[in-house]
Amino acid sequence: MKRRTWILSALGATGALVVGWGAMPARSRLGSPELMLPTQGDVALNGWIKIAADGAVVLAMPRSEMGQGVHTALAMLVAEELDVPLERVRLEQAGADSIYGNVAMLVASLPFHPLDSEGEHKPTKIKLAEWMVGKIARELGINATGGSSSVADLWEPLRMAAATARASLVQAAAAAWKVPANEITVRDGVMQHASGQKAHYGQMGAAAAGSTPPNIAPKAREDWKLIGQRAARNDIPAKVTGQAQFGMDVRLPGLLFAAVRMNPVLGGAAAPMDTQAALALPGVSQVVALDAWGGGTGGFAVVATNTWQARQGAQAVKVQWPTPGASSGHQALDTTRIQADLLKALNTESGFTFHEQGLPLKAEQTAASRIDALYQAPYLAHATMEPMNCTARVLDGKVEVWVPTQVPQMARAMAAKVAGVKEDQVTVHVTLLGGGFGRRLEVDFVGQAVQVAMACKGAPVQLVWSREEDMTHDFYRPMHLAKFQASIDAQGEVSSLRIKSAGDAITPRWMARAAPHLSGPIDMPDKTTSEGLFDLPYGFLNQHMSHVATKSGVPVGFWRSVGHSHNAFFSESFIDELAVATKQDPLAFRLKLLKDAPRYAAVLQLAATQAGWGKPLPAGRAQGIALHKSFGAIVAQVAEVSVEQGQIRVHRVVCAIDCGTVVNPDTVAQQMQSSVVYALSAALYGQIDIVGGVVQQGNFPSYPMVTLSQAPTVETHIVPSTRHPAGVGEPAVPPLAPAVGNALFALTGKRQRALPLKP
Amino acid sequence: MQLNINGQSQTVTTDPSTPLLWVLRDELNLTGTKFGCGIAACGACTVHVDGQPVRSCVMPVSAVASQKIRTIESLGTPDKPHPLQIAWIAEQVPQCGYCQSGMLMAAAALLDKNPQPSDADIDAAMTNLCRCGTYQRVRAAIHRAAAELKKGGAA
Repeated sequence: MKRRTWILSALGATGALVVGWGAMPARSRLGSPELMLPTQGDVALNGWIKIAADGAVVLAMPRSEMGQGVHTALAMLVAEELDVPLERVRLEQAGADSIYGNVAMLVASLPFHPLDSEGEHKPTKIKLAEWMVGKIARELGINATGGSSSVADLWEPLRMAAATARASLVQAAAAAWKVPANEITVRDGVMQHASGQKAHYGQMGAAAAGSTPPNIAPKAREDWKLIGQRAARNDIPAKVTGQAQFGMDVRLPGLLFAAVRMNPVLGGAAAPMDTQAALALPGVSQVVALDAWGGGTGGFAVVATNTWQARQGAQAVKVQWPTPGASSGHQALDTTRIQADLLKALNTESGFTFHEQGLPLKAEQTAASRIDALYQAPYLAHATMEPMNCTARVLDGKVEVWVPTQVPQMARAMAAKVAGVKEDQVTVHVTLLGGGFGRRLEVDFVGQAVQVAMACKGAPVQLVWSREEDMTHDFYRPMHLAKFQASIDAQGEVSSLRIKSAGDAITPRWMARAAPHLSGPIDMPDKTTSEGLFDLPYGFLNQHMSHVATKSGVPVGFWRSVGHSHNAFFSESFIDELAVATKQDPLAFRLKLLKDAPRYAAVLQLAATQAGWGKPLPAGRAQGIALHKSFGAIVAQVAEVSVEQGQIRVHRVVCAIDCGTVVNPDTVAQQMQSSVVYALSAALYGQIDIVGGVVQQGNFPSYPMVTLSQAPTVETHIVPSTRHPAGVGEPAVPPLAPAVGNALFALTGKRQRALPLKP
Repeated sequence: MQLNINGQSQTVTTDPSTPLLWVLRDELNLTGTKFGCGIAACGACTVHVDGQPVRSCVMPVSAVASQKIRTIESLGTPDKPHPLQIAWIAEQVPQCGYCQSGMLMAAAALLDKNPQPSDADIDAAMTNLCRCGTYQRVRAAIHRAAAELKKGGAA
């Protein structure tokens, strides 16, 4: 199947099925006031905005805060349009209506080449496909925080909701004061007229309710006071006093605590147990066998009056897990064998073509020389600082869960399924997330908590995984391999590039466990497998990029920046190889190939200039450069590296980013710092090995993290832009590993084609 | 068993071998102290015991029964925040925030002992893990708090 055929057939199938081909306008996301939680004294003006009696603004918040600063950024959009100080915006968890669904994330799953949308006007075919997928996404209304999409998705709907609310309030004041609405000014939430009339929003909330002012548009860019300015995050004060409530911090009267032990074999089932010794321990009340929920692993939970007792109990249970290692099934999972399987797939299967142009095979026939390389990246765990946990209560046919999740509706569906109730009998409270990175797009632990709660006779129970369970029962970033074949012509220029990669596709596996009703028997090609390979900005005349989607059986999941996380290492390292092979400076080589991609070139040039590319460095240090676009943002990084006492040392990383319109520049800087450190841990140490179905790394000593003393200085330079905002939570992860690897090559002359990097 | 926590005497009934972390979190509902690894490798559970930074996930509660325990909940008050809390906000340090209680307690112990730490001192004292990569801002905030302390005298 060719890419175009696939897009059209996929759109045809889902589109016709879900919404028909009618040319109805896309569903509005303004929402009705009834969607908001009714609270004493507050007046809802639409599905997003309530006005409190004291004039404060209450925002329905559908996205999860996991460190990326989204609660602040989205509050800023509302504060801007309503002309209130940021601290006057309070957050309230949004309900489950489809207006809160994430449209941008689904639209971004279309495998269009980014250069097709670089110009002023998008081609019609892309606009049509985006419109269609957008429409489907609005109908589905999947609320997910992921894909660096929150601001991109809610940029228009939230500003429209706030602007509409503001107009209603001003209209109400105009009617009360019998003055024209356009003579009323608003400052800090206070409306004022030259006649001396004055009222804050709270005084006009009731009068404004139910009005639908026409012709609303968000503020013009030149009128912004908040957007684009550094703003202090609204979640930080509680995070420096210990008052911030993460999932594990939920405390309820009569709360019980549960510890979990899962089958060491990934995907394995519960096994026969002897619980006598465990139940004899103080505080231990029961042992509950756990099914393998949400594509996870079975096992058991021990319930006690505190976590420690529950853990002691879990250790005291005698359980006969099946012996790891077998010829088939979960026990056969083995990373060494999977690696060999991927290599075989690369060499024997044609895969799905994500991109092709020119005639690469013909160019190879007339090439003066050829360069081939094989790259690989290992499985990775997410290792959020807050281990997986969920608190649940099942009482009188109703289920309540408190959970740090990126997918509240999927948590709700899982809870309903386990408890055997309708979804509307389930209430999901989303807490702060002690890190997400994609791990909390899964709901396996929600299923476990509800199963345990059902055995607790109406008492609430908090189920917390140990670090070891968390690391050995993750949904791992899949191992991938990629084969590069380039040809160089008689003039010494690169004349063709073919890339073929192999590895598990995440999206179909995730769909099968998270939304089985949307999942079919045949896997659709998954853009995430090839992103960062098929969508390169470089002007090679002849290209072919394909991917062989494998099914290893290892539970795989979305890991911060997903396919880009390994593919950028592959592609940007190989680009460096091509620069070296053609005896060109890595920066100059890239710039030459970016003639038709001026935004990329500008970002790359900015990073190089700020880093002092090519200027003398202290002895023993070298620089490496990398460029990558993901989640709508282009990031270039220059890493300055040395090897000291046998250890790779990254001293400084200069980041340049074009992420469209910036809401909070300090959040951009935070996310650049965050991504560099996160990606550096993976680049230097990250590797999960599976033997006989059992993950070999169990805690931080065997799956190390970069520490403060190893953290490089990260500098951020933002390219000014008036484009639609793109994401910033992930795009600085992909370029880091190749920037460091390229610097190591400059330093040592040794090309590293596998992660993690070695000194 | 009697414990002295945040200046208050608390009676706890837990088994003496229980790590301090779980006594704080599950029995006393002082949830500001976090669980990260259970083997003293990440520092999310750092509290002060007689002024020393201690990783409470491996510290049996019986071993600290006669000592002064201080947790993030008493590092400062809304009226009188600790200089580090002020610096943490000024530098906008936290992201997800989960490791930050431990970071702050480790930093507070460092400043108590060494009010003007060098970068090398900070490197040596701050071994807490952070997956969000707040390290650069942690360093800046410690320096900022140290500078404030120097200007304004002892905290």
